[in-house]
Amino acid sequence: MKFSPCLLTFVAGASLCGFGQNPSYQLDPQWRAPAAATVRPNPLADKPEAAAGGKKLFLRHCAECHGNEGSGLTKKHSADLRLAIVQEQSDGTFFWKITNGNTGKGMPSFSKLPELQRWQLVLFIRTLKEAGSASADPAR
Amino acid sequence: MKKTVFFLAMILASATPICSAQESPFFVTYTHHMEEPGNLEVETSTTTGIPRSGQRFYMAPYLELEYGVTAQWTSELYLESSSVWGDSTVFTGWRFENRYKPLRREHWINPVLYLEYENVNEASRIQKEIEGGGPDLTSSNRELRGEHAHELESKLILSSDFRDWNISENFIVTKNLSEAEGVEFGYAFGITRPLARLASSGDCRLCRENFIAGVEMYGGLGSTLGFTPHGSAHYIAPVVSWAMTDNSSLRFSTGFGLTDQSNPVLIRFGYSYELAGFASRVSRLFGGKR
Repeated sequence: MKFSPCLLTFVAGASLCGFGQNPSYQLDPQWRAPAAATVRPNPLADKPEAAAGGKKLFLRHCAECHGNEGSGLTKKHSADLRLAIVQEQSDGTFFWKITNGNTGKGMPSFSKLPELQRWQLVLFIRTLKEAGSASADPAR
Repeated sequence: MKKTVFFLAMILASATPICSAQESPFFVTYTHHMEEPGNLEVETSTTTGIPRSGQRFYMAPYLELEYGVTAQWTSELYLESSSVWGDSTVFTGWRFENRYKPLRREHWINPVLYLEYENVNEASRIQKEIEGGGPDLTSSNRELRGEHAHELESKLILSSDFRDWNISENFIVTKNLSEAEGVEFGYAFGITRPLARLASSGDCRLCRENFIAGVEMYGGLGSTLGFTPHGSAHYIAPVVSWAMTDNSSLRFSTGFGLTDQSNPVLIRFGYSYELAGFASRVSRLFGGKR
């Protein structure tokens, strides 16, 4: 039995896209930022060019669990960062979650990174929303 | 044997090349930052003592395997040795340590509990910590290697991140189970800061964002037989780390001895390589699903 290269490519692509990501991710109700943290504005909000550095940091520190595209990995129970339920959270909440981690569920704290680098990560995570909305299922 | 080597090579080769290797530059002081869960860090370091009159020149290399058991629990195994100029090179023993961070969230001060078992002999000179009166820097390896020490060491690690500065303090309590030396005490504290706060977009290696610099101070505080900082070794040491690649880093420190029991200069050098997702890769190798 022979498989065409196109079919093999499709199957490989579908495996990577469909089975690796974590579209069924639900927010952990126990992992909530305090009210004061959720309203913190991103000091780099007016510097969108800093998101490029955030991408570099994301690939170094986050991609192992969240995937290069931020789609999350089912086996790691990590968030698909492109999902609306994730992106609806405030910048301050993202910053708090990156800083503290959710150590009981395997997400480490990244407080070792300088504060501005953590805000750069938040900037980059926001860009995943746009990338995700172009390719993701609109019903999600 | 060939199979084992092949498997190990496979594990190393299949390790994810992208992971964080930005190491704290401290050699002695511990911070509250733990190894990421499932990651294995392999580190080789050397402590070199420049002697003063009556002391001997030595190099004490050691291998460190650090594994993130969970996000709050890190284990480490050390294998250490010592080479003394004009004397000999000896294996000085092993240590197994565990660090546990009881609080799940970041606070203004973050405690970490540390417990270590040491099976070393008195020729040990790596000086990962100094307690009691410090190591014997005048006797030969031949005299010292016969004296074994089974020690239990505990530390209270307190660490804070404040505006990109890390400030850490360690309080050390050691009990030698082999001899009646009382309970020995030591300390270490330090402060570090990254040289740049923002990450650049380019993949530069020598830019400031890849460097962390600081200073640490450590020494012995005597024992229950005589609690005093006098008569022990004390050092103050500027430290720097450089993230050479995404998964390897170099650390360097020049310690200056502050007492007659110290070496005038203590040079430390370390290279570490981090294997991300080590646990899941080993598990998969043996048919696991993790």
